[in-house]
Amino acid sequence: MLKIENISKSYGKGSVKAVDNIDLEIKSGEIFGFLGPNGAGKTTTIKMIVGLLKPDGGKISIDGVDVWDSPLEAKSKISYVPDNPEIYDKLKGIEYLNFIADMYEIPKEERIKDIEYYTKLFNIEHALGDIIGSYSHGMKQKIVLTSALITNPDLFILDEPMVGLDPKSAFNLKEIMRKMCNDGKTVFFSTHVLEVAEKICDRIAIINKGKIITVGTMEELREHAKEKESLENIFLELTE
Amino acid sequence: MNKMISLIKVDINNTYGLSTMAHSLKDKKSRWRFIIFGILMMSLIPTYIMLIRALGNMYDASIQIGQRSYFLQMGIFASQILVFVFGIIYVMSKYYFSNDLDQLVPLPIKSSHILGSKFVTLMISEYLTSLPIILPFILIYGIRGKEGILYWIYSFLLALGIPVLPLVIASILVMIFMKYTNIKGKKDLLRIVGSSIFLFLILFIQFQMQSIMQKVIAGGDEFYINLAKNSNLLVMKLGVVFPPSMWGTLSLVNYGNFSGLSYVLLFFLVSIIGYIIMILLSEKIFFDGLIGNMEVSSSKSRGSRIIGIKDSIKINKPYISLAKKEVKILFRTPVYLLNSVGGVIILPAVLVMSTVTGDESLELLTKVLGEFPHFIVLPAIGMIVFLGMLNSIGCTTFSREGKNFWIQRTLPIRIEDQIIGRVLSSLIIQLVGIVAMIGSIFFIAKIRLGNILIIAILGLLGSIPMTQIGMIIDILRPLLIWDNPQKAMKQNLNVLIGMGVGFLYGGILTFLTIKLFDKIDINYIYIILALIFILSSYILYIILKKLISKQFIELQ
Repeated sequence: MLKIENISKSYGKGSVKAVDNIDLEIKSGEIFGFLGPNGAGKTTTIKMIVGLLKPDGGKISIDGVDVWDSPLEAKSKISYVPDNPEIYDKLKGIEYLNFIADMYEIPKEERIKDIEYYTKLFNIEHALGDIIGSYSHGMKQKIVLTSALITNPDLFILDEPMVGLDPKSAFNLKEIMRKMCNDGKTVFFSTHVLEVAEKICDRIAIINKGKIITVGTMEELREHAKEKESLENIFLELTE
Repeated sequence: MNKMISLIKVDINNTYGLSTMAHSLKDKKSRWRFIIFGILMMSLIPTYIMLIRALGNMYDASIQIGQRSYFLQMGIFASQILVFVFGIIYVMSKYYFSNDLDQLVPLPIKSSHILGSKFVTLMISEYLTSLPIILPFILIYGIRGKEGILYWIYSFLLALGIPVLPLVIASILVMIFMKYTNIKGKKDLLRIVGSSIFLFLILFIQFQMQSIMQKVIAGGDEFYINLAKNSNLLVMKLGVVFPPSMWGTLSLVNYGNFSGLSYVLLFFLVSIIGYIIMILLSEKIFFDGLIGNMEVSSSKSRGSRIIGIKDSIKINKPYISLAKKEVKILFRTPVYLLNSVGGVIILPAVLVMSTVTGDESLELLTKVLGEFPHFIVLPAIGMIVFLGMLNSIGCTTFSREGKNFWIQRTLPIRIEDQIIGRVLSSLIIQLVGIVAMIGSIFFIAKIRLGNILIIAILGLLGSIPMTQIGMIIDILRPLLIWDNPQKAMKQNLNVLIGMGVGFLYGGILTFLTIKLFDKIDINYIYIILALIFILSSYILYIILKKLISKQFIELQ
């Protein structure tokens, strides 16, 4: 589904390598967790996948479509939720959702059904008539999640999705991820919350200083680690 | 007092981006910006010189009628009126809609300190309006009349003091206006409608006064006798409208004797009293207008606007949806509303109305226009086309996205839709301008439906390339990092560059039209203009398509 080949990105005229020659392949129907300490290169990698940052070298393709050669086709397969929900403060919630749906050209019936379903699930249906500027951080997060989900993406990419969500919504989001994968869709997300990764990810990659240190299922990661313990210990050991 | 000084420092730094400027001067790429800026500023010099020459002629005329002082008065009066009109817009966005208020209000500072510091920064901005106007008047009067040293000292003081009173009056009016329109629920609508009416009212009163003055000045047989007797007659007549302009003039005219000194003192005394009144008033009413402003929509009212999802969902083509989003944000962000929408309404009204003063000139004008309607149709088209750039929509369209730009870049939007949608949003605002234009024209002359259609169609067609030129500039160097919408529109260099290029494009077309004017039938001119507009729109569209797809990939 998502294939990342040899991508690198450096800042400041090549002096700082944020991402250093990364290779990853994520299959359809997989929930893939992307872990790493602050400044490891998680967000940079994600931004390159969704088309916000051009890699210095390498190739990213989604379902065989090159992200940088055919951006439109690639983007129509992706939905992206950034770590900071910066969206149009002056639009009403419903207007924003409708705008996104227009861009993905989602048919009316499907639009209504999905907006009703997800806004109810995240408990923001009562706020849709208000402008987004009046929302709390968590509510903004939820409206961005809703806008990403109504497009019914093949590849769902989330940057630190659990930050700012209340426990119930975080639980619901995990359920949604699981269900999407059962339907053959792919979820790729970065997180600091190791329990989340441990519980729901099919596979995990740990990135540190721009390089992938390890990739695999929880079992495989445990085998590689000296002490076969929790993900927390593995993480601490590997990123030292 | 220390608080006040540090507030002023921070505000000046923030408003003019001094720290950022210092930082970017070190950066090679940004240094180019300053060079471009310099070149642009220099390109305005020839026009300015022409203007000064014309003023020189006016000075001669005022000597001929023995009213040399009237020349100075016109300069002072014009700069004060402009400071006042701009002041109302500036004051509203600076006192009530700037983002730093969120941080200032919770601090233990008096409202008079907040307002006082903002007033000082505004004064500096207003010098940019008032000095280019008043300086040529002072210089011509002083140099041609070989005035003494005291004249220059007084002039210097007056040049500094001129914006104070108009800005004080604008501040007080806006504060009162904001206090009484701060009504829950209907606040936004009330303020938009209110401020439009308010501005029109001011303009209307202004023109009424002007025409009354003209009548008074021109009327009666004794007028000429009085004119000969009193060399300051015209000054006093115009002084009725706004006395401080008269005091300023008289102090400069009589700088050699005691009355000059007393007029200077009077001028500054009244300015200071005005400032104190404004500060005292601000303690009482500033927060009243402000507080409700900052709560976007309170949590209590949440749920009161529960909407039916089914009824609110509308399917639109992507470009229509994009245009709608743009227009909504333009209307809902006060800074954008005042600058773009306000601009296209006010500018035509001011320009059209200011060409007419007094009934006699009106009669003559109506007569001429009845026979040669294109004398009004062509300038009207030109005005609308220029508004296509002056509305700043094209040249800030990507900058306005700011931190939300990621949305545009990650969504599967075709570049064609990006262009059409954004041009469309500018045209919608232009339509408002066209209505304002035709409405103001009706004040002075009745024009036929056919001509209205020509103005509308050619105006809109011409607005397309203007918007596209702006978009090209903006996509090449979008200003995406800002915390205050003011920076995206008012402090965006792209607006200035856009105007430079736009004026060049418009200037060439104006030149062409004048050349063709008496050579071919007017209808052919309309057709030629339409063809040029369509052709340039198409060429710019192709360029934009390439640039946007490149920049959407390259930008970081």
